Amino acid sequence: MFNHSRRNLARWFTLSMGSILVVFAGIVYYVEVQDKLKGLDRLLYDKASVMAASVQYDLRQSPSNVDLNHVPLLGSGSHPLDKELAYARWYTAQGQVTRFFGAPPPERLAVGPGFLTVQLADPLTAEEIWLRQATLPIKGRSEILGYLQIAAPLTEVQDGFFQFRLVLTFAVPVALGFIGLTGWLLGGAAMQPIRQAYQQLQRFTADASHELRSPLSAILTNAQVGLLSTPEDEPSHESLRNIVDSAKSMSALVNNLLLLARHQGRLAPESLKLVNLNVLLKDLAAQFTKLAAEQNLTLTYELSKLPIEVQADPDLLLQALENLLANACKYTPAHGVIHLRLVGHINWAIIQVVDTGIGIPEADLPHIFDRFYRVDTQRTLESGGFGLGLAIAQQMVKAHGGQIRVASTVSKGSTFQVELPLKPHYSELL
Amino acid sequence: MRILLVEDDPKQLMPLKTVLTQAGHGVDGVKDGETAQKLLIDKDYDLLIVDWMLPRLSGLNLCSQYRAAGKSAPILMITAKDTSADKVSGLDAGADDYLVKPIDIPEFMARVRALRRRSPLWQGDMLCLEDLQLHLDTLIAERQGAAVSLSGREFQLLEYFMRHPRQVLTRNQIEQAVWEWGAEPESNAMTVLVRKLRRRLQVVGAADWIETIYSMGYRLSPPEIS
Repeated sequence: MFNHSRRNLARWFTLSMGSILVVFAGIVYYVEVQDKLKGLDRLLYDKASVMAASVQYDLRQSPSNVDLNHVPLLGSGSHPLDKELAYARWYTAQGQVTRFFGAPPPERLAVGPGFLTVQLADPLTAEEIWLRQATLPIKGRSEILGYLQIAAPLTEVQDGFFQFRLVLTFAVPVALGFIGLTGWLLGGAAMQPIRQAYQQLQRFTADASHELRSPLSAILTNAQVGLLSTPEDEPSHESLRNIVDSAKSMSALVNNLLLLARHQGRLAPESLKLVNLNVLLKDLAAQFTKLAAEQNLTLTYELSKLPIEVQADPDLLLQALENLLANACKYTPAHGVIHLRLVGHINWAIIQVVDTGIGIPEADLPHIFDRFYRVDTQRTLESGGFGLGLAIAQQMVKAHGGQIRVASTVSKGSTFQVELPLKPHYSELL
Repeated sequence: MRILLVEDDPKQLMPLKTVLTQAGHGVDGVKDGETAQKLLIDKDYDLLIVDWMLPRLSGLNLCSQYRAAGKSAPILMITAKDTSADKVSGLDAGADDYLVKPIDIPEFMARVRALRRRSPLWQGDMLCLEDLQLHLDTLIAERQGAAVSLSGREFQLLEYFMRHPRQVLTRNQIEQAVWEWGAEPESNAMTVLVRKLRRRLQVVGAADWIETIYSMGYRLSPPEIS
């Protein structure tokens, strides 16, 4: 049970810290990429500015008469600005290409001004390369002279990114591993006080069990022995009878309280067995048919044709269902009908106990699963209940990862529905 | 039946001893494991009733040592330990039955009867020797339509005789079988008891079945029915 919780804790820790790590690495990568691209863009812009500065034009003539002869790369004199540029193109204001350097351009300007990452097949090697391309409008005094489009290969920047990604691919899993290990160690440390508290509680319940049962046993045995040797007509016979009854009901109460104290929270998966509910309920119905008949009640049952199996502690599950059936018998007047039903759902086994009993007032419904809660104090006292039966039923069902619901109409009857997970919380636990 | 009852709480020991004695059993009651262990070396019992938590030697160890010694009398364990893990260790240690406190007397007695039925000496709810019948649950001896009710100790004596017919039983053997451990019978107590039993058996016409073997003990010799 503790190892399971520890694993859970470590898993959640790794998951949360890991997601933070991954998101953080992603942001760092993104910022780095943005930064590098911005640097490249600035470089392109600078180069374009240098080129644009060499554009000569005559103010009196139409803007199309632009003299590009002195522009680096594009000009006839061809004084290379540098070799870093993949291509340079000049488009007229109308978007018609007039001069270019490098890869052959499309006839017309296809993109608007701005920066863009494009893919280009290298004409020599036919290799696809990535380029960062800048398209800038070049203005004369009043109007646009044309568009200068230049591009630089991204190879170097991409290499940098690749290396960065490589580092991340190794560093992130290693860090995740460390996080997992730390989570496991922290989980162990966190479990320690819980484990101690649990063991203390276990010891306490064991001690309490012994200390409560011993005197109770002495009371019961002595009273019963006294009862055996006292003739029925003596007045002390009645007193002894009362002592025996009280000791027995006290003993039932102690049993119930110990049951509640011992099975708090989910049950340890190693204590669960595969239980066939059809068989379990059939036996239970057989057992209660007799009891119901003694009270002039009819018990019917209807079980799913398919076998329905759940992972459960059969004793505890039986205890919960017995409590529900006993309650149904207790609160159903003579000639009533109690119906036990088992149906399978997609992920749930559903067990219903339907009675035609006195029902539960709506105001009481939210409280009926509380410990020591009694709907009708007078009547429950007479029938010897403590108001623990439903609390136990609910706790036992919850301990199996299930839930219990109730629907009731006063003087019509109640329906208690137990829902148990099929192959319950097994995948979840592993 | 000879029963060894080991229980450290006197408030529990006394009533259990009382009901067992009333039911016609010879009961030795001790309060700790060590004493019980010593007793088990000297005496043979038909049933052991052992509390788990005992001073000095736990009931669990007592059980396993008893079984390790190769003895086979059934053991009923009574304890406040009620988890199923406890029951498993109790039964695995050699107990034949397990009863959780508080003990309900009718259930307790029913379990004792159930364990007696498992004993190799058990021959039904009554012992028969020729035409003499001894009802083990009602302490009644019956023969040829006549019946007589016996006291606890008379019953134990007759039961012991009937389980060992036609054998000379020494005074020492009888003392061990009928008197409790630690309660030395007075010098003539056995003579008195045998006389009482003979008087009871007169009712069913079997008084002369008990023979006195001078300076040795007694023998139950029923007449052969031809």
